[in-house]
Amino acid sequence: MADLKVKDLRLRLGDNEILKGVSLDVTPGQVVALLGPSGSGKTTLLRAIAGLEMPHAGSIAIGDNVFYDAGRGIELPAEKRGLGLVFQSYALWPHRNVFDNVAYGLKLRGTSTLEIKGRVDKTLAQIGLGALAERFPHQLSGGQQQRVAIARALVYEPPVILLDEPLSNLDAKLREEARAWLRTLIVTLGLSAIHVTHDQVEAMAIADQVVLLDAGTVAQVGPPTELYNKPATLFAAEFMGSNNRLDGTLVEVNGASATMQVFGERITGQAHTKAAPGAKTVGIIRLERVRCATAPGPNRLKMQLKAPMYLGERWELVFAREQLTVRAYAAAPLEPGEHYVEFPADALWVF
Amino acid sequence: MPIIVYRFLVLGITALAVLAPIALVVYQSFLTAPFFDRAARLSLSAYSFVFAEEDFWQALWTTAAIAGGMAAIAVPLGALLAFLMVRTDVPGRQYLEPLILIPIFVSAVVIAFGYVVAVGPVGIFSTLAKDVLGFVPWNLYSLFSLIAIAGLTHVPHVYLYSAAALRGLGTDLEEAARVSGANPLQVALNVSLPMIGPAILFAGVLVFFLGFELFGLPLVLGDPQDVLVLSTYLFKLTNKLGVPSYQLMAVAVVVIIAITAPLVFMQRLLLRQAQRYVSVRGKGLKTQALRLGPWRWVAFGTIVFWLFITVVVPLTGITLRSFVVSWGQGVNLLDVLTFDHYRELLDYPNVVRGIVNTLGIGVIGGAVSVACYTAIALAVHRWNSGWTRLVDYLVMVPRAMPGLVAGLALLWVFLFVAFLSPLRSTMVSIWLAYSIVWLAYGMRLVSGTLLQVGPELEEAARVSGAGDLRVKRDVTVPLIKYGMLASWLLVFLIFVREYSTGIYLLGPGTEVIGSLLVSLWGTGAIDLVSALSVVNVMMIGVGLAVAVRLGVRLHG
Repeated sequence: MADLKVKDLRLRLGDNEILKGVSLDVTPGQVVALLGPSGSGKTTLLRAIAGLEMPHAGSIAIGDNVFYDAGRGIELPAEKRGLGLVFQSYALWPHRNVFDNVAYGLKLRGTSTLEIKGRVDKTLAQIGLGALAERFPHQLSGGQQQRVAIARALVYEPPVILLDEPLSNLDAKLREEARAWLRTLIVTLGLSAIHVTHDQVEAMAIADQVVLLDAGTVAQVGPPTELYNKPATLFAAEFMGSNNRLDGTLVEVNGASATMQVFGERITGQAHTKAAPGAKTVGIIRLERVRCATAPGPNRLKMQLKAPMYLGERWELVFAREQLTVRAYAAAPLEPGEHYVEFPADALWVF
Repeated sequence: MPIIVYRFLVLGITALAVLAPIALVVYQSFLTAPFFDRAARLSLSAYSFVFAEEDFWQALWTTAAIAGGMAAIAVPLGALLAFLMVRTDVPGRQYLEPLILIPIFVSAVVIAFGYVVAVGPVGIFSTLAKDVLGFVPWNLYSLFSLIAIAGLTHVPHVYLYSAAALRGLGTDLEEAARVSGANPLQVALNVSLPMIGPAILFAGVLVFFLGFELFGLPLVLGDPQDVLVLSTYLFKLTNKLGVPSYQLMAVAVVVIIAITAPLVFMQRLLLRQAQRYVSVRGKGLKTQALRLGPWRWVAFGTIVFWLFITVVVPLTGITLRSFVVSWGQGVNLLDVLTFDHYRELLDYPNVVRGIVNTLGIGVIGGAVSVACYTAIALAVHRWNSGWTRLVDYLVMVPRAMPGLVAGLALLWVFLFVAFLSPLRSTMVSIWLAYSIVWLAYGMRLVSGTLLQVGPELEEAARVSGAGDLRVKRDVTVPLIKYGMLASWLLVFLIFVREYSTGIYLLGPGTEVIGSLLVSLWGTGAIDLVSALSVVNVMMIGVGLAVAVRLGVRLHG
C-alpha cells in the first residue's frame, strides 16, 4: 500500500483561509497526530482528507488513487474514498444497534450476509464488545460508544483511519486508559491512522509522527521526542510542554549557543535566532528542567520564592523577580525567601 | 439518479404547483371574460369595474378594521396568557394547555355556527338570558361582536409564539426584578413581555394577516346585516353578473394577495429577528414558577372565563342544538331530545361521502402530503447552494393565498389544463389544493424535524461509502420517522378542519365536511349543519387526544 500524500492543500471557508498550504505524508503502518491549538485547522484538514470539506488548491492521494487534485480537476466524493472516520461525537446512528452500525459499511460494499456476520463479529471481538452487538447506542457508556465508532470505521479495512479527537468526550481517567488501549489496538492491527487532537500528551503518546499546525500552516513535523526536545520555532517550543519564558536582550551568538542578558546576568542557551546582538530575545525552558541552587553561578538568577504548591507527586515552586515569574518542580518544598534559579544551557532555547 | 437531478426535479414540480395557479389568476384578472371564453381580450376593465364598486371599498375597510381590532384584542390577551401559563403557578396548567389550543384546531365555521345557535337572537343562552333578565344583553350580529369573537378566537396564536419565546428566555432577568422589589404583574409588564417583544410583534402581524384571511366568521356572523369582508365579497362575486364573472373574482384575488404577500414577507423578517433575539439569551434553565399567591385563582378564573366564551359557549351550543328538535322560550330541552339529526345525515349520500372523504383526505391525503413535504425538505437539506433560497420563497407563496382563493385558483387550473380536467371532480383536486395551501406549514414541521439530525450522522454514512441519496434513505429518513409521524397527525388535524379551500372545488365526489357545512348553511339546514359540525369536532377531538397522548407538540 502506498503513502497518503497531502500536498500544499488550501481551503477557504467564506473569507477565512483555514488551510494555507498544508503538506502531509502518512506511510503505511504509521500513526500521525495532527496537533494544534483550536482554530489551527487540524479538524478541517482531517475532514478535507475524508472528503467532507472542499479545498480549492493542492492535492490528496494514496498512490495512484487521487482523492483530490485541484490542477487536474479531480474531486472524489467522500463515499468513494474508502477511508474510515471516527467522529468526535462518535455519530453512531441511533436507529441502528451496534451490529448494524458496524455492518453498514460492509453492506454498502455488497458483502454477503454471511461474511458481514463473520467480519463484524471479529471486529467487535477485537475491540472487546462482542457481547453488546444487540444493544442500541443509547444503551452504551461513552467509552463503549467510542469503541463502536472505531469498529465501524475499521470493519471494511480502510487504508487509513481518521480519528477526530476521539478521546475528548471521555472523562480524564477513562481518557488515559482509552489512549493506551487505542495505541495498542492500532499497533496490533498494523493500521495507518491520522489522529487529530489538541492534547499534546495524547499526541505524543499515540503517534509515530506529530504534525504541529499553527493557523493553517505546518509549524513542525517529526517524531514526538524531536518535537518535544528540539522545537524548531518559538511557537513549537511554547506549545509543547509547560514552559518558562525569559525576556531579555541578545548579547552574542556563538555557533550553536547564544547568550542573552536578563537582569544584568548572562544566560547562555541553544541558539535558535539569527538576530543581531542588542535585539530583544526570548528564552524558553521547560518547567522540569529548571533547577534550584543555593549559591550564585553561571546561568543562575537570584529570585524570590513566592508560593510553593503541593501537586501530590511533587512540588511546584513559583519564583518571582520584578515582572519575571519562573515556575519549577522540586521533590521537597524550599523555605520562602531568596534563592538562585539555574537555567541549564542545554535546556534553554534562545529565540 | 444523481442527487442534483432529484433536487431540480423537486424544485421544478414545486415551482409549477405553486406558481401556476397564481399566474393563471393574474392572467385572468387582465381579461374581459373568463379565460375559456373565445371572446376574452386583454384589458384593465375588470380592475376599473371592481375599483368603482362601493361594496369593494366597504369590504376592504371592514376587513382592515376587523384585522386591526382582532390584533388589538388578541395580542395583549395572548401575551398575558403566555406569561401566566409559562411563568406562574396558575393551577392546572398542564390541563389548560391543550384546551387553550382548541380554537386553533376547530374549524372557524363550526365556531361561528356555535355562536349563532348559542347566543344568536334565538340562541339557547339568549333564551336563558331572556327568561332570567327579560331581555338579551348582547347582540351577536354587530361588527363589534364579530371583531370581539375574531379577537378572542385568535388569542391562542399569540399565546403559542409568546409562550415559545418565554420558554427560551432564562429566568434570571425576572428573578433580578423580583429581588429588586417588583410584584408578579410588574415583572410581566416591565421585564418578561418587553424581552419577548419581537415575538409578540411577530404574533401581532400574524393575527393582522389572519384577519385578511378570515372567511367563516364573517360569512356566518356578518351576513345577516350585510357586513362584507374581502373574502366574503369574493364569495358573493361568484354570481354577481349572472354569468361566471371570473375576471372580477380574479381582481379580488389579486387585491387580497397584494395585501397578504407583503404581510407574509414581513412575518418572515420578524420571525427571524425574534428567533435571533431569543437564541442569544436562551439558556434552557429549569424555570422556577412565579408564586401568585391568592391571585393565582383570579388568573385561573380569567383563563377559564376566556375558555368558556371562546370554546364552551360555541361548542356546547352546537352540540346541544344537534340533539334537539328545536328550542325557544318555554321549551323543556329534555322533551325535545333526539338523535334524528344524526340519523338524517345518513340519508344524504353527499353527506356520507363528505364524511368518508374527510377521513380519507385527513388520513391518506395527510400521509401523502407529508411524504411530499418531506421530499421537498430532503431536496433542500444540506444543499449548499443559492437555490435553497428560491425554495424558501416558493414555499412562502401559498401562505399569501387564503384557502378560498387557493381553491378557486386550483379550480381554474383544472379547467385551464385540458389533461387535468378529469381529475377536477375527484378527491385529487381537493388533495392538491390542501397540500398547496398548507405547504408552508407542513414544510415548517418537516424542516424542524430535519434540523435535529446532526450532520455528523450523515457524514459518517458518506465516509462509510454511501452516496447522497443512499444517505437520505438509510440515515436521514429513519431518523426523522417520528417527526414525520407527528407531522402527519398535525396535518390530519388541519385537513379535517379545513373548510374554505374546498368550497369552489365542491361537487359530486369532492365533498368534504368543511365545504359541505358552508353550502348547507346557505340552504338553512341547521339540523344537519349542527350534527355534521359535531361529527367534525369529534374527528378533531380524537386526533387531538391521540396527539396529546403521544406527546406530539401541537405547534410546529
